[in-house]
Amino acid sequence: MTDKKNKRRRITPGRAMVSTVMLFFFLAFFLLFLKDFNWQSLMLALAVPVIVLFGSVGISKLFPADTLLLSLTNFLCALGVLVLYRLSPERGLTQAVNYGIGVAAMIGCTLLIRYMPSFRFVNWAFMLGSVALLALPLVIGTEKNGANSWISFGGRSFQPSEIVKLALLISLAHMLSKRKVIVPMGFAAVCVLILAVQNDFGTALLYFGTALVLGYAATGSVLLVGAGAGGAAAAVVLGNMIIPQKFARAMSRVNVWLNPWQDVQGAGYQIVQGLIAMANGGLWGVGLGAGNATVIPEHYNDFIFAVIVNEFGMIFGLIVVAMYALIMIRGIMIARNARGVFHALLATGCAAMLALQVFVIIGGNIKLIPLTGITLPFISYGGTSLVSSLCIIGLMQGVAARNAAGVNEDRELAMQGGGWR
Amino acid sequence: MKQVKNNIRRVCIFLCILFVLLAVYGGYSITVNGNRWFSSGANTFVRSKKKDVIAGNILDRNGNFLAFNDVQTTAEGTKTTRLYHQDAAVRRAMVHVVGDREGNVNNGVESFMASSLYGFQMSLVERFSCFMRGVQRTGDNVHLTLDSRLCAMASGLFPQGKAGALVVMNYETGEMLAEISLPQYDPMNITWQAKSDPQKPFYNRAVQGLYAPGSTFKIITAASAFENYADAATRAWQCTGQLQVGDRFVTDAGTDLAAGKIVSHGQLTLQRAFQVSCNNTFAQIALSIGDQKLKKTAESFGFNDNFLFRDVVVENSAYPRENRTEREVAWTGVGQSTLTATPLHMCMVAAAVANDGVMMEPYTVMRTQAADGRQRTEAESRVYRTAMKPETAQVLKGYMRSVVQTGTGTAAQIAGVKVCGKTGSAEVDTQENTNAWFVGFLDEPAHPYAISVVVEDAGGGGSVAAPIARQVFQWMLNNGY
Repeated sequence: MTDKKNKRRRITPGRAMVSTVMLFFFLAFFLLFLKDFNWQSLMLALAVPVIVLFGSVGISKLFPADTLLLSLTNFLCALGVLVLYRLSPERGLTQAVNYGIGVAAMIGCTLLIRYMPSFRFVNWAFMLGSVALLALPLVIGTEKNGANSWISFGGRSFQPSEIVKLALLISLAHMLSKRKVIVPMGFAAVCVLILAVQNDFGTALLYFGTALVLGYAATGSVLLVGAGAGGAAAAVVLGNMIIPQKFARAMSRVNVWLNPWQDVQGAGYQIVQGLIAMANGGLWGVGLGAGNATVIPEHYNDFIFAVIVNEFGMIFGLIVVAMYALIMIRGIMIARNARGVFHALLATGCAAMLALQVFVIIGGNIKLIPLTGITLPFISYGGTSLVSSLCIIGLMQGVAARNAAGVNEDRELAMQGGGWR
Repeated sequence: MKQVKNNIRRVCIFLCILFVLLAVYGGYSITVNGNRWFSSGANTFVRSKKKDVIAGNILDRNGNFLAFNDVQTTAEGTKTTRLYHQDAAVRRAMVHVVGDREGNVNNGVESFMASSLYGFQMSLVERFSCFMRGVQRTGDNVHLTLDSRLCAMASGLFPQGKAGALVVMNYETGEMLAEISLPQYDPMNITWQAKSDPQKPFYNRAVQGLYAPGSTFKIITAASAFENYADAATRAWQCTGQLQVGDRFVTDAGTDLAAGKIVSHGQLTLQRAFQVSCNNTFAQIALSIGDQKLKKTAESFGFNDNFLFRDVVVENSAYPRENRTEREVAWTGVGQSTLTATPLHMCMVAAAVANDGVMMEPYTVMRTQAADGRQRTEAESRVYRTAMKPETAQVLKGYMRSVVQTGTGTAAQIAGVKVCGKTGSAEVDTQENTNAWFVGFLDEPAHPYAISVVVEDAGGGGSVAAPIARQVFQWMLNNGY
């Protein structure tokens, strides 16, 4: 990077990873091709490594971006395409298309953060729009898996909460960086309430956790965290009194979590089949294409982690967890290099939101916490989820790009003999 | 700005902890529970693989085939039928350990060892070689530590029509030689009667039956006395025949307060109380030690623990935690109250006394072998926990010896062999008679075997269960154990 004349390629961790990842996906799709000689598999065997190459190295050629972050993200996205394609080719192909859209959206978000001077004028629009979008399913929504948080639009359905995530992150970071606390926390509380009313407890938990983490990062106040947790507890108690039947539903989930084996064929079926799928995989997995994880309800969505462990093994599953951890740590590093409070908080929020989402859904899969239906970022089937997760990475990349640009500015200033601004 | 970055670092630490939790719990639960989940009846993957693989055989410790296959090659292809031991008595005696084709028994070897029997332990090379040669894969053979003849013989010793269980284990190694549960059924001929029998023959009472241990629990109460009182051996206790606790009485067998008939032992030592199984004394001991300390001793014997033995799935024994009135505590010391334990666990308690306080982990799978005879795994004995001090075990051994010599367990005597034991007659509200218990062991270094016998609704432990134990030990001594 320092000497542009030096064309000899150095092997950086990012580069080494990209080539390994390309090889992995070529071999994996080729294996699927050998199974049924479907030309689509062969096409994907060539196309996916190329997308990975573009998504990881190509983008960093366009503007200074974090190659390691990109290659990790791309690996996970491509893994999602692979696993979904193996489970059902149509879903895999749809996911591949969404992956392409997501990469474009990610670039858009990067550029937005890189060049947008301030969000002062759009902040209120973001907040009002968020609440309106979130509340929309209550008016024209359709129900899916018990959660009334979906909107059908031209034959396709999506969850507004996935898009609102981005606005929430930007708005919270913006207001908290201006030393406001009441308004952003109130905004987050309204969002969480709307989601809880829609029975989308997983997303509500995610929003709640992210808001608390961001509030803590901005203020350093344990009191705030305590007040947030206390408020949530009070809301649960109050809600239990007003609408008990709804909370009975939530409690039944907790009971299933405590002992899913009590009702193996009924309420506990999904989680039990998920655990069995993981046990079938063991440490090394049954092999790509050899598992039967399709018996799990929502295997392509909430339980995609169980499918991965089933076919690739627990060790691979833990590596996937480690990759998410690396993405989170990378995000925090970007935040700590940021040159303003807004950008620091934004990158922290992105990292925290992804990390919490991973924890909530994988924790639910392995029965560490009660299961709530949310997607595994980058991997689960679903256009909105994939695009919004990639957008979150885009926001992080935008901060990273700003950091790099800032360093260059300093250097130029120093060369001109200028001091610190 | 600096403050915010410090906060961000803390956020990072918090999120890292979440990831570590995920990784640790994920790795832990799959290693600890993996095989239990895998062998669950709800696992359709195993069922789907059974078509492709010829299941391995199940053999007992002497190489007798307990489960094997009949492969018939016809014009349409090969047809495999799972068969069980040719002798119906052996088949019936082993059915709870081995399991059946339909999976009626929970955690039988047929389902719990499915990963070996159906070749999931085979390496990729072996699978590939089978694939290339075009032969159907054959799973691994499982050799058990149990002696099927012993099990069949012991099954015949139970009174006609009575339910119950019997466990024999080697207290030095933990290997189980017999595990039977009655009533039994024939895995080759699973009848409608078996499925609708109110006595539930599919239920493996040896490891799933949660019984009140009755007076056999006095081993633990006595151990607690030794752990808590330095002078436990010499202290004198007064048995009046009726110990008033609250507004009720703790009495001994034979006492009928309404008829004015009171059995009392007068002043006695702990050893004498143990010999004659004096409820009064043990209730006093429980009360004077206190609930918490007694619970601590019981827990050191494995009560309230989550048993995760490698190949024996045992229901957890419970020392009661709720409703601890004085009366309940007094009855707990006698082994009643809401205490529950399995016959296997009480066998382990006796085994711990025999083995200087060290409780071995029970196991039933001796080794697994590939179809071509190569050894796959070999069991080694492991310590489960240390239940008590060696000195306490030594004294209790003497007490249990005196029970058989001159106490309630004289029916277990064998000439020339040091048999030790403790009887129990546990009361069950819904039954006319008590459950007869006997737990004991041979205090002979050459014959390190412990036994536990339960006969439901049958009467006194000394008269019903102790003779069964004697005959089992006698048979074992006659047959080279």
